Amino acid sequence: MFTPFRSVNAFASRIRAWLSPRRVDQDFQHELQAHLDLLTDENISRGMSPEEARRAARIRLGGATQLAETNRELRGLPLLETLFQDLRHALRMLRKSPGFAAVVVLTLALGIGANTAIFTLVHAILLKALPVGDPKSLYRLGDKDDCCLNPGLDNENGEVDIFSYDLYRYLRETTPEFENLAAMQAGPNVIGVRRGSNTQAQQSEFVSGNYFATFGVGAFAGHLFTDVDDRPDAPPVAVMSYQAWQSVYDGDPSVIGATFYLQSQPVTLVGIAPPGFFGDRITSNPPAFWIPLSAEPLLTRANSVLRHPDEAWLYAIGRVKPATSVNALQQKISANLRLWLLTQDSYTRNGGAARIPKLHVVLSPGGAGIQSLQQQSAKKLYLLLAVSGLVLLIACANVANLLLARSTKRKAEIAVRIALGSARSRLIRQMLTESLLLGGLGGLAGLTVAYAGTRAILALAFPDSPHNAIHATPSLAVLGFAFLVSLSTGVLFGIVPAWIISRGDPAEALRGMNRSIGDRASLPQKSLIIFQVALSLVLLVGAGLLTRSLRKMEHQDFGLQTNNRYVLHLDPAAAGYPPEKLDTLYRALERDFAAIPGMQTSAVALFTPMDGNQWVFQANIPGRPLPEPDDHHKELLNRVTPNFFAAIGQPVIRGRGFTEADNAPNSRFVAVVNQAFADKFFPNQDPIGLHFGSYDQEDIGAYEIVGVVANAKYTDPRDAAKPMFFRPLSQWQHELKDPTAVSIETQSHYVGSIIMKFRDTPRNLGALVSAALERVDPNLTVIDLHSLDFQLEGTFNQERLIARLTTLFGLLTLVVASVGLYGITSYQVTQRTREIGLRMAFGANRQRVIGLMLRGTLIQLVLGLALGVPIALVAAHYIADQLFIVKSNDPVSLSLAILALCAAAVIAAIFPARRASKVDPMIALRQD
Amino acid sequence: MPANKSEILQGTLDLMVLKTLDAMGPLHGYGIARRIEQISEEALRINQGTIYASLVRLLHMRWISGAWGTSENNRKAKFYSITKSGQKQLHAEAQNWKRISTVIGRVLRIVER
Repeated sequence: MFTPFRSVNAFASRIRAWLSPRRVDQDFQHELQAHLDLLTDENISRGMSPEEARRAARIRLGGATQLAETNRELRGLPLLETLFQDLRHALRMLRKSPGFAAVVVLTLALGIGANTAIFTLVHAILLKALPVGDPKSLYRLGDKDDCCLNPGLDNENGEVDIFSYDLYRYLRETTPEFENLAAMQAGPNVIGVRRGSNTQAQQSEFVSGNYFATFGVGAFAGHLFTDVDDRPDAPPVAVMSYQAWQSVYDGDPSVIGATFYLQSQPVTLVGIAPPGFFGDRITSNPPAFWIPLSAEPLLTRANSVLRHPDEAWLYAIGRVKPATSVNALQQKISANLRLWLLTQDSYTRNGGAARIPKLHVVLSPGGAGIQSLQQQSAKKLYLLLAVSGLVLLIACANVANLLLARSTKRKAEIAVRIALGSARSRLIRQMLTESLLLGGLGGLAGLTVAYAGTRAILALAFPDSPHNAIHATPSLAVLGFAFLVSLSTGVLFGIVPAWIISRGDPAEALRGMNRSIGDRASLPQKSLIIFQVALSLVLLVGAGLLTRSLRKMEHQDFGLQTNNRYVLHLDPAAAGYPPEKLDTLYRALERDFAAIPGMQTSAVALFTPMDGNQWVFQANIPGRPLPEPDDHHKELLNRVTPNFFAAIGQPVIRGRGFTEADNAPNSRFVAVVNQAFADKFFPNQDPIGLHFGSYDQEDIGAYEIVGVVANAKYTDPRDAAKPMFFRPLSQWQHELKDPTAVSIETQSHYVGSIIMKFRDTPRNLGALVSAALERVDPNLTVIDLHSLDFQLEGTFNQERLIARLTTLFGLLTLVVASVGLYGITSYQVTQRTREIGLRMAFGANRQRVIGLMLRGTLIQLVLGLALGVPIALVAAHYIADQLFIVKSNDPVSLSLAILALCAAAVIAAIFPARRASKVDPMIALRQD
Repeated sequence: MPANKSEILQGTLDLMVLKTLDAMGPLHGYGIARRIEQISEEALRINQGTIYASLVRLLHMRWISGAWGTSENNRKAKFYSITKSGQKQLHAEAQNWKRISTVIGRVLRIVER
């Protein structure tokens, strides 16, 4: 019966009616009037009196109001119309109680904002694919972040994730299943970039020539390099990221084709990558330059690893051809990997061949790139998501409670409306419209909170990252998420009040209006309060645990002294220093830095504590078997100048530190070890005078231990100090033969930092240090300069952020829950004013009244705590691995949380209770 | 009002209104209601207001049209008349109705046996 044409007709006529409702209404009224008149005429002609005739006519026609309503529904767009009516009504109700509206919208803005902010991060970091063509057909060889272990190839599971250049070439040539297989540097790489007189330290990445082709991205300007540029004889080129081009060179088109000096070597910049492209992984510091692998020997010179088949330093991502079986490909690559390893002496010697059959490659989806940030932060992000989810639940419970209290206040109004014939469905719809409107307003406010929040979180989590690839701008997915959250929030907190209204009996409500004596807060209201208390406790316990854990981490003994100590990072390789000139450079640095006013002592070191670097070796003790090749418990090496231990504040506890005598040419090789090293290799033995080496067979017993220093943490602040040995920076093991050993020995002379201890810190420290560096060599750049304290604290950035956010959320929900408790107590006081008056008239004193009022609140508090403690303990168990020293069932955090909740509850309840006790019985009884 | 009952009533009422307008020419709401009552020999005493719901529905479908005019006893009233497509619809519905009533009659006979 309904052909489309007809329903279009009907719809058009409905729209017309909807657009001019007044005219249609009037028209209809006239028509009805005419009908009535005709009926009346007929009745009169039958002999009725005019009065009677009109009455009979009205009965015959039916209720005029209902008819008009039906007519309106049939003619207009009823759903839309009632929606607008309900919206207008809701807005009017909210305008009438702005305080209520403000509290609700703020509470919701907090809940929705927190969730949207965290979801923005989750989306930007965990859910996004790289902005490249067809990310689904990209696969990575390996799935872990085993970056830069030296010379580690496989991790504990026998998975190989990181490759040498030769191995990459071999795998690329033996797997035609890949359309393209690209390689990229695994570790971060800061280089010195000079154009004209402007020198800067910038992130860079060595990548294979087919890198851009593999990802399917084209140039924004100029052109991107290809395999042709990645040949040993090709002139060196580079591609710049769009962001670096914009922020560092102001989008200057003349840089394309210009010569840049990267690590002091001339390189032609051939093009700019597209704006969205930030490389092969999401990171806070994406590369500003991509350079073909073939230029690596030129730029890193003595430190080059390209031609060392046993130096694994590349990750690999490939685009598979359509209809390739990933499983079969994985088997094939693993087999090829083992074949290649068996041909390599460095992997087969010393019993290594026995391990090769266990080694394999796992192919993982590569559409999101190298997922190191994802793997590092997933757990923390999900923790934050859970925390913000709790905040939202508490906010919803609170708003539901406020709405309930309000709807109870409106009970009389609603009873009257039901008695007058309002449909219950319409009332429920109205309540829901109101809560959805509140949800929507909360969502809008929440988006603002979220945007500001995300920006703040990013700034706190990743300071020092000008080109951060993670953006705070809400994406479409985020907006959708916020909308969905607001919508479900509106339904969630609106459904309970609406449900209660629909069950109310109007007669009873009208009878009981203003006369309730025993009417206490309803069961749903109490349950909501209990629920809020329980969830708040969970949040507070979490906040307590994380904060205490952070405290323990920050205030732990690193084994160092930090007062008046500063660390400068620099890169002699970037300034073009060949190995033979390094000694002179370091002497000059020591001399010129000693002359800085206020300087007590300074030293040059390979790396400093918690600056993200580490050098891992295997110490070999003469007469003992060489460690297994898969022994992953290795030792740290640092190379330092004689003043180092004094400058960093690490005490020498036995023997001596390094002296000028160790700098003399042809002095014997010496080493200082830490206590953990001595305990590992020489328990119950005095290590002074004993020998060890660090290059396998190459240098058995080469170094003599001359001193032992106390333990200090240089890498992971959560672990105990690792066994570590120190060697003088000026000593060279020229007798080494193995090319890899020679290369590593050379690299270990390219320092990264200068540590300075001042008597008192000069105010213009930065300028003084830059000037001193420039006096030594104008080509040297300050990569960064921070206090040692700052550097140590920097490792806790994310922990601090999470602890602070959780604490912030915990405190806010405490406030929200207190407001809820306050509201419900004062509501009870209002409801029971008559009862209180009666009780006081019968002789109850003020204390009894206060006690009476507090009792209800305290019962809810206790029930909430009883529910919350087990939940909190279970929840804490899940974050146990995020905690340092603090146990997940930490009694201090638990009692502090309970105490805070109790205090807040008592404060929230005491004011209304005192108000109750001041009730004048005469006035109370005369009320209503 | 249970939905199923009203639905049957609606459909039937719409059909009756169409038929009345087809047979009698332009009529106002009161006239239509009276006519239906007369034809059914007062067996169908409808709440006269319901006629207007039916008229609105038919207007939406463009099966009838309405215009203001003057009634026999000189009162201003809105007169409705059937349109071309209304006549087509009436024909189709009448056929349909006949078919259904035959079928139902047959079914009822089977049940009685």
